[in-house]
Amino acid sequence: MIKIRDLTFYYGDASRPALQDVNLDIEDGEFVLVTGPSGCGKTSLCRCLNGLIPHFYGGEIAGGLEVQGLDVMRHTTREMATRVGMVFQDPENQLVSMDVQREVAFGLENLAFPRDVMAKRVEESLDTLEISGLRHRQVHELSGGEKQKVVISSVLALHPDILVLDEPTSELDPKGAEDVLSIVRRLNDELGITVILVEHRLDRVVHLVDRMIVMDKGKIIADGNPRAVLSNGDITSIGAGVPPIVRIVQRLRDNGVNVDNIPLTVKEGRAMLKDIFMGARGSTLSHTESADNGRPVIEIDKLWHAYPEGITALKNVNLRICEGEFVAVMGRNASGKTTLVKHINGLLKPTKGKVIVSGIDTRRATIAQLSRKVGFIFQNPNDHIFADTVEEEIAFILKNLGFDSGEIAARIDEMLEMFALKEFRKRYPRSLSGGERQRVAMASVLVARPRVLILDEPTRGMDYRLKSELMRFLNGYREKGNTVVLVTHDVETVAEHADRVVLLSEGGVVVDGNKRDVLSRALFFSPQINRLVQAFEKYGVPNNILTVDEALDILK
Amino acid sequence: MINLRYREKGTVIHRLNPFCKLAWVVSVFVLALVLDNPLFLFLLFLSTLPLVLTAKVWSEWTSFMKFAVYICLAIIVINALVSYRGEHVLAVAPFSIPVMGTPTITLEAILFGIAMSIRLLAIISAFAIITLTVNPDDMMLSMIRMKLPYKSVLVTSLSTRFFPTLIDDVERISDVQRTRCLELDKGRLPQRIKRSMSVIIPLLSNSLDRTVQVAEAMESRAFGSGTKRTFYRDIRTSRIDIVTLILALSPCALGILMLILGYGDYQYYPTLGGMNLSGLEWAMLPILALLVSSVVPLAFLKRRVDLD
Repeated sequence: MIKIRDLTFYYGDASRPALQDVNLDIEDGEFVLVTGPSGCGKTSLCRCLNGLIPHFYGGEIAGGLEVQGLDVMRHTTREMATRVGMVFQDPENQLVSMDVQREVAFGLENLAFPRDVMAKRVEESLDTLEISGLRHRQVHELSGGEKQKVVISSVLALHPDILVLDEPTSELDPKGAEDVLSIVRRLNDELGITVILVEHRLDRVVHLVDRMIVMDKGKIIADGNPRAVLSNGDITSIGAGVPPIVRIVQRLRDNGVNVDNIPLTVKEGRAMLKDIFMGARGSTLSHTESADNGRPVIEIDKLWHAYPEGITALKNVNLRICEGEFVAVMGRNASGKTTLVKHINGLLKPTKGKVIVSGIDTRRATIAQLSRKVGFIFQNPNDHIFADTVEEEIAFILKNLGFDSGEIAARIDEMLEMFALKEFRKRYPRSLSGGERQRVAMASVLVARPRVLILDEPTRGMDYRLKSELMRFLNGYREKGNTVVLVTHDVETVAEHADRVVLLSEGGVVVDGNKRDVLSRALFFSPQINRLVQAFEKYGVPNNILTVDEALDILK
Repeated sequence: MINLRYREKGTVIHRLNPFCKLAWVVSVFVLALVLDNPLFLFLLFLSTLPLVLTAKVWSEWTSFMKFAVYICLAIIVINALVSYRGEHVLAVAPFSIPVMGTPTITLEAILFGIAMSIRLLAIISAFAIITLTVNPDDMMLSMIRMKLPYKSVLVTSLSTRFFPTLIDDVERISDVQRTRCLELDKGRLPQRIKRSMSVIIPLLSNSLDRTVQVAEAMESRAFGSGTKRTFYRDIRTSRIDIVTLILALSPCALGILMLILGYGDYQYYPTLGGMNLSGLEWAMLPILALLVSSVVPLAFLKRRVDLD
């Protein structure tokens, strides 16, 4: 039982509250989803539940906070540990031991459990997560999903009544995320553990939960049954990532079409929307015009790459990308995606075969020479940022390239304008918010005016609003005749914005084609809307619809 | 690249009680310090090899030793250049340096450098074996059992745990900055240092963030609760382990005995002493080698006993 009364919290030096007048009651055994744009206070709310706020993160706090009958203000995080288990975003930063079974025992050791009880609890927790096969493995050898399961297991060993998970899947690939979420569901279903899950990819979880809470600017703005909460169209405007299948119903309702209920899964969607799609006009969507007749800008010819440790990451890859194309590179983890794109800007050189970018053979060019042709954005902007001011950060590449100061100043102004960073010119980049830092990182690469932009999983862990902002920019960049290569797991983003998909597996290209051909009628790799309309093919609905807008077009 | 990561290989050496392995390292260390005779030192180095082979850590061990050989070359060169004692002069510099005199390279100085290197190689080899075969968590537990304070041991073990993560960070951030035209090997030193900040600053800030997150996660699992903590696994010390422990320490005792008796001494300066060993000293050689490598058969025996 969690009781929160008029809770307001300010971090140490903050002028705005992280939480404001929060009132919340959560019953035992509930499965609660908490969502909202980044910076909305969902992480702070989690931290309150086990006393990290106010005991670990100091600040100004007011209101009442009672968890399992304990006043959190007067009980430290350590005392709360057997009642509230916490799982954080990045599993890497939660594992403190070298091997799995000692990690699971860590909390029990801290609480001085006798060895026989520990042995039993470790065994149980490993079995519950189905990871007893990993028990003797070294932590650094595990995949992200496996690591996160070890974390959950080590938290579970303390037998908490409540499990709080703060974006547990944002650092994982789709398979790892799926595994973790299905386990969380089972813990709730079968062991009756209260679960509080923070997540912004709603399509993965919304059908699993009993209750959904939406936060914005430190306040709870919606709370209730997921269907009821999602009926409210305002949720989209604050930047929560509403699943496409819900969005289509919201839009239909806006257009005056009567749909009784909000579907949460593809199955429900097919049942609820059947009548509406029966009346649709039957025309096949034409392929969006392909840029295939443009000039080739990246030519990859019989490319092989073997790492010094002996792993052959790429096996005979042939690829031609033309000016103005938006190409998504997809595939499982370790399928060679990152290795492939690192060849385009010369970070890696071919073991065999060749890569030609704008007529330059990468084997004979330095990264610096290529950097004026190809920009590369990595996932985490924090890896980019080191300078004292935003301005210097952006100037770094130009200084390295030996530009004169007049040109540098002019280009900086252009970038600050383009990325709406003018007011931050003299600010320390690390003090900016996540989205602003991402823009600084982009500006610091694009200032060299590359004609090709490569992004390696830029949307991982991004909320919907930041994601759409990034995509808007990429589309604008592409419209100027530039080329975008996007490495991603995010099928929905690809369906909306890319025009060509290259699917890699085991270091080779398996499929390469227009997104409509690659993403439609597939099982796992199809976006939600496509999986919905596959059932309506018999009514003449084209089976290669990928997005909400396209589906609505058909229904006009 | 030096490969220092522990890997569970399940060999008899990996399964040996960590205290025995620690005792063995102490023995090798003491012997390497008390012995002067290059023949004895070389034999000591050779006696560490059976453990490397039994533990199947040959490739990791060689990567370690390659690095050690560079250090040894440096020792030999520097010693030859600065030590002018010794009577067999090989070369004389045409100038002289105040205080130090005329630089002279002598045969004795070179051989002394070589003997020192063998001594160092024996010590490094023993430490490499320990690092590669003792599970870091076991190492931590042994330290605690030897009454070192838990928190200091934990900090050491955390840094081992996060070492691979840090290496990954360095590689990733260097890639990021290289795409922004960072060329670390160009330009003069002050510029290079200034530019390398673009790797160091993100690395430090990320590590700082990481530290807070690790602390948060530990706190959430009741780390630092007042009660005295217990340990999930224990290092069980059976009778055979005690026998092994004693045998592993015996070379240490032997070394001290030899020091008192003056065996294993050797004269390098001003002229090299001959290899005129007494009968007892000749007998010492195989005994020493046998005692140092005796942990190997005992490790096999331990497995037999454990199975029974």
